[in-house]
Amino acid sequence: MISNARSNGALVLGIVTCGLALVAGVAAAQSPSSVNIPFETYTLPNGLTVIASIDRTTPTVAVNMWYHVGSKNEVKSRTGFAHLFEHVMFTGSGHVPYGLHDKLTEGVGGSNNGTTSNDRTTYYETVPSNYLESALWIEADRMGFLLDSLDLAKLNAQRDIVKNERRQSVDNQPYGRAGEILAQATYPASHPYSWDVIGSMEDLSAATEEDVKSFFRLYYAPNNAFLAIVGDFDPAQAKAWVQKYFGDIPRGKAITRPAVAPVVLDAERRLVYEDRVQLPRLYVQWPTVGEQHDDRFALDVLGAILAGPRTARLTKALVYDKQSAASVSAGQGTNEDVGDFGMTITPRPGNTLTDLEQAADAVIEKLKAEGPTAEEIQKATAGEELSFVRGLESNLGKALRLSDGAGFHGDPGYFRTEYSKGQSVTAADVKRVANKYLTKGRVVLSIVPMGKLDQASKPGESKKVTDEASGGEGRW
Amino acid sequence: MVIMPMRLAPRTIVSAAALLVVALSFDASARQALDRTKTPPPGKTPDLRVPTWTKASLANGADLIVSEKHDLPLVSFSITFLGGANQFEPAERTGLASITASMMSEGTKTRDGEGLSNALQLLGTSVSTAIGGESGSMSFVSTTGKFGQTMDILADMLLNSTFPADALERLRAQRLVALTQARAQPGAIAGRVFPKVLYGPAHPYGRVATEESIKAVTRDDIVAFQSQYFQPGRALITVVGDVTAAGVKPVVEKALAAWPKAGTRPTFSYPAVPERQKTTIFLVDRPGAAQSTMAIGHPGPPRSTPDYYAMQVMNTMLGGMFQSRLNANIREEKGYSYGVSSAFSYGKGPGPFRTGGDIVGEKTDAALVEFMKELRGILGERPVTDEELQTAKDSLIQRLPGTFASVTAINGALTTLWSQGLPDDYYQQYTKAVAAVTKADVLRVAKKYIDIDRLAIVIVGDRKSIEGPLKATNIAPIAFLDIEGAPKTQ
Repeated sequence: MISNARSNGALVLGIVTCGLALVAGVAAAQSPSSVNIPFETYTLPNGLTVIASIDRTTPTVAVNMWYHVGSKNEVKSRTGFAHLFEHVMFTGSGHVPYGLHDKLTEGVGGSNNGTTSNDRTTYYETVPSNYLESALWIEADRMGFLLDSLDLAKLNAQRDIVKNERRQSVDNQPYGRAGEILAQATYPASHPYSWDVIGSMEDLSAATEEDVKSFFRLYYAPNNAFLAIVGDFDPAQAKAWVQKYFGDIPRGKAITRPAVAPVVLDAERRLVYEDRVQLPRLYVQWPTVGEQHDDRFALDVLGAILAGPRTARLTKALVYDKQSAASVSAGQGTNEDVGDFGMTITPRPGNTLTDLEQAADAVIEKLKAEGPTAEEIQKATAGEELSFVRGLESNLGKALRLSDGAGFHGDPGYFRTEYSKGQSVTAADVKRVANKYLTKGRVVLSIVPMGKLDQASKPGESKKVTDEASGGEGRW
Repeated sequence: MVIMPMRLAPRTIVSAAALLVVALSFDASARQALDRTKTPPPGKTPDLRVPTWTKASLANGADLIVSEKHDLPLVSFSITFLGGANQFEPAERTGLASITASMMSEGTKTRDGEGLSNALQLLGTSVSTAIGGESGSMSFVSTTGKFGQTMDILADMLLNSTFPADALERLRAQRLVALTQARAQPGAIAGRVFPKVLYGPAHPYGRVATEESIKAVTRDDIVAFQSQYFQPGRALITVVGDVTAAGVKPVVEKALAAWPKAGTRPTFSYPAVPERQKTTIFLVDRPGAAQSTMAIGHPGPPRSTPDYYAMQVMNTMLGGMFQSRLNANIREEKGYSYGVSSAFSYGKGPGPFRTGGDIVGEKTDAALVEFMKELRGILGERPVTDEELQTAKDSLIQRLPGTFASVTAINGALTTLWSQGLPDDYYQQYTKAVAAVTKADVLRVAKKYIDIDRLAIVIVGDRKSIEGPLKATNIAPIAFLDIEGAPKTQ
């Protein structure tokens, strides 16, 4: 799950992977396999990794500053901290008064935003190319001098905004608490992935000014940061500016990363939660693998084979053939250390979650027994070529992808590996991961209208989740 | 797992590596001279590069615009139809246009719905059909090599769709579920109630699909709508990307050879908007809601207004960007919301001016006071500063290059020129027109297009806790509506 600092900033996540050979067509000037993301990377003595990539299509530049810190670096009584901090980063810094950042980005036709996930926090600016130097100056100032201007008043204002973000995206949203409940049920209580990125209201209230400052000193140091610059600029000039503004920011302390253990559920956990919704909805989640495990590629393909287009197996069976569901989705969610495979089913009126769960399980069992067809594999991977080339149109999409590769895999060019691994998934791989991960060790959550606990899937076997037990705000 | 330290040594304790940097800094004196308080000045403003394009007409009457862009092997293709649900949909069939659009993917004379889906998945792309209030389109993006094959499938969908009856029943059932779900979604409730309050049921802008209108749609309606709507006489075909104008025209002509000449451009005449009432709060009760969703506004002018540029500048400072007056006050300073904004929706008719956002429940009254204060401010109580004016103009002007950053963005920019009847040099003129806006213009258009005495204030929230405080603000009388916008007796 990813949270944004600013509701009116659009985050463009371009999917950037390597190209495929292409059949000759209308006026084909080049094939996708001949296009790439050319980049240069180097590391400053203070540990800051810099990645630069030229794209002169439009006179704009994207700057992405990626810090290797997320909600998993929090402790249990201080959840929501990494994300709260992301907001604090927009309140001005030692030499950049509050408001100037927006003026030098959105105020000159660009944009800025930040996002926080379980594993990393990222900040970006897109600007006309003649504003690159000021964008670097801003990022350097909040890395080196944020604490010079931070006080409790600023912290409290951002805390209120984050609470509003939580109300808007979680508490006042039908089914909004699903992600949080699933995470708590999937991971043991002390596991770094057991709490949601947005955090709990209580913990947000408890964070002190000193908590924030300590967090900053440890994690917002150049040795924990990756800076990507993509667009229309002079690379030598950019290098000089990076040296000028970042060069003398001192390296931080060594960071010990949390040890994130893989999760295996030895039995099915069945839950039901009452919400202000009109229709019940079924959520199923299986623990799987993260960025560092190659099974994630086959799990991605498994998701595409199960749900999405009308020929996908669950979609076809439940939405088109039986017409017992209004919608179905399924797919692998990949975090840095571990991941999960999720399935969501919204029924059509007159159909019970119990029946839908059973029907979905039958589809999955059949796939586990037979494996997918060659055509299913081909369809699932064919869209990657187009996604790759389209991702190359966005400076920001490329900057994010290069930083993810550098931060998670130590290689900005990891997108090439990722693409080829995605393209080489076989039917046997998909069959194997379906059998390995889609087991009885899973969480089954029914979200039902208030007072309609009997609408849960297998109501007698499902344990009721209350707001008090799960750290939510509750209803006033 | 590791516990995050809650107390750390100050930053002056640096690691060995950082000390090394300091020791090796031959240019330390130069770096000491670095004055971080000085904002780096911008470089020379880059030239605006507006894409070029060629225009032609097909024998069947459709216009064709081609814009070449060869840096990547990509093509964006669309057929845009002038006019939409507001011009072609009977009032009692609201939702027909949208259902017809979905039915275009349900099968042709030679491919059933699965066959179409399979063929497109193997090409790695998809064709989308959408019909909005005043225009509709069929479109796709493909790699250059897959352009011809995808074009053929789109042509098959356009010309040979069969509209199977069982598909209609499935789509109808899905839409009814979506309507049910919308009743629990505060944003969706406000989105349905606000236009009803502003325009009433007799105006197309006030119509929303209902259970009754969705249930009323028949297959015959769809067949009739399709044959009347998808006609070349009101269509623009746009091809942007890795093609040549000379090369792509025959490909398009061949694929659409069976599309006969028919249709004209619709007229956009709308009934009069109901007379605006005195400012009123319309409260929709959502018991226990943590937030109040607010939509405040009234009808505005059409896109063709000569005041467009001044209005854009005015709205940018009022609620069109992060540091706009509304967001700076209500989100950043007061912390009442995760974000508030304002916008005019420009169309062929009197699209709405709307401001608002999701407000923490207990601050509903306080936020409304601030909304009213900022509206009075832009109406003259708080004069626009030179800096505000400059920032709003810079933001609008320098946003333009991003308008041309991808094949789909260029396609959209060129289609807008055609559908809004704008001149070919519009994007070059835009910069000058925005730059010419003065503080007096901003005040004039604010007064002309924002009427603080005739606002509809729709609030979806917990009546029990917000009614009293709202009443105490004395801003406006309160009327109560149900979630469909119908008046409710106490």
